[in-house]
Amino acid sequence: MRVSVSNLTFGYDYRTVLKDISFVLKSGDFLAVIGNNGSGKSTLIKCILGINKITPNRILLDDVDVVDYKNYKNIGYVPQKFDDFNYEFPITVNEILQVSKYTDFTEDQKLELLDKVGILELQNENINNLSGGQLQRVFIARSLMNNPKLLILDEPTVGVDRENVEGFYKTINELNKEGITIMLITHNIHESKANFTHILSLHNGEASFREISRGDE
Amino acid sequence: MLLINESFFFALFEYSFLRYALLTGVIMGFVTPIIGSFVVIRRLSFIADTLSHFSLAGLSIGLFLINIMGFTFISDPLYLAMIFSVIGALFIEILRGYYQNYKEISMPIVMSLGTALSALFISLSGGFNSSIYNYLFGSILTVGNEYLIVIAITTAIVLGLLFIFYKEMVIISFDETYAKLLGIKIARFQFVSTIVLAVIVSLSIATVGVLLVSSLMIIPVAAAMKVGKSFKNTIIIAIMFSETSIIGGLWLSYELDIASGATIVLINLLILVLVGLFRRFYVRKRLKQTQLDIQRK
Ligand SMILES: Nc1ncnc2c1ncn2[C@@H]1O[C@H](COP(=O)(O)OP(=O)(O)OP(=O)(O)O)[C@@H](O)[C@H]1O
Ligand SMILES: [Mg+2]
Repeated sequence: MRVSVSNLTFGYDYRTVLKDISFVLKSGDFLAVIGNNGSGKSTLIKCILGINKITPNRILLDDVDVVDYKNYKNIGYVPQKFDDFNYEFPITVNEILQVSKYTDFTEDQKLELLDKVGILELQNENINNLSGGQLQRVFIARSLMNNPKLLILDEPTVGVDRENVEGFYKTINELNKEGITIMLITHNIHESKANFTHILSLHNGEASFREISRGDE
Repeated sequence: MLLINESFFFALFEYSFLRYALLTGVIMGFVTPIIGSFVVIRRLSFIADTLSHFSLAGLSIGLFLINIMGFTFISDPLYLAMIFSVIGALFIEILRGYYQNYKEISMPIVMSLGTALSALFISLSGGFNSSIYNYLFGSILTVGNEYLIVIAITTAIVLGLLFIFYKEMVIISFDETYAKLLGIKIARFQFVSTIVLAVIVSLSIATVGVLLVSSLMIIPVAAAMKVGKSFKNTIIIAIMFSETSIIGGLWLSYELDIASGATIVLINLLILVLVGLFRRFYVRKRLKQTQLDIQRK
């Protein structure tokens, strides 16, 4: 999916968080979004996801304005926090994935995905019994359920152990090779084994956007 | 089922009102915990109470119209309860729009309007009488053939809707942000589910009465969620608890000649306590073990 952001300015109440941000991603690009705490990384992706309401014609997804965008099923998203999730009521990993699925993702594809993300054995567990890192992997799996064309990950590996972090980057690098556009917010761009093509660095609301050469090619 | 006393069993064949009561109870015992589960997950327990109090206004206005004004086209005030419950739901939705950041404010406002109207029309109809008592505490033995059909049809429609929109309902209840991302029309779903809740609340009044409706919806779910292993499993357990309380409550109230609504709710509470004890002495140990197992995976 193509993502084009042009002269995006956004703030909460009277405080401007993002100032005049512009960048373009083509299908198959892999963007690292970096910046200090509070620099507006999560705010930016919430604009792209349509969670933050913005003015028209600032963000286009495959040439469609986010303001009018309907096909959100094409976008996979792993939020930074899961505060919005209601945990206390019993529900299993499988059940939550089942109701999040809106494409003809087959049972085999699902099992393969769960295996890749390292939660195959946790399928029938109640999510209330999972650790933070395990839950994070469940949400990573969920973001991949609808065969997304754009994947937006807000610090997805925080709290995930090293073995599974590696598995995770392997998975998303493969997905990226298949042409999926990825935006990944991270604090340690060098440690992650992701094959980034671009970096967007946010500082005091302003962004610098640059292309980088791929490590693996 | 050795406990079933023959007299209740034979009385079922003999008296149609008992059969109607049992059927009404079994239907409500099935549908209320299903709806109640979504109410619990979305932390809306207070809505059920608000709507049942608002229904009482409909009931008292109905009694006033029938007894004092002599309107005969209303056969049963319970229909007005349903209409008022839906009106109450609409009020709640409108007020929620006005108080975006204090959504729960809408409940006490609607509840006080309902309670005030009830008090007003009860006094206009000549004060407290046995019909009012029945509406407050339940009158399942007075449910007739016609109302039973209404209950059956409405329940079938509600269950049908739930079957069709199961995925959407579950994802909205558990994770509204994600549901929004999937492009699900949250506001529309919320509106319809509040109306459905209003209808089910008003139907439950016949079983346990205005004051106990929220108990019928919430307590079996509260007990089941402490022992359920999955979402579906929890709902099935809640239905089992709820049916046990209703069938057991009807039987016991018949045998001992005590109020059925109260008996049903007390059995529900007893189940809740037993589940609490069971969990304390058995499930916790098992849970610790499961968590250890999971961490090892
Ligand atoms: N819903 C909100 N309402 C008001 N202000 C907000 C809201 N969300 C974020 N902010 C403010 O916007 C600024 C940017 O926040 P944001 O969450 O985008 O930062 P971030 O770059 O993701 O930080 P972190 O690295 O800690 O995740 C912060 O100053 C924050 O206080
Ligand atoms: Mg953030």
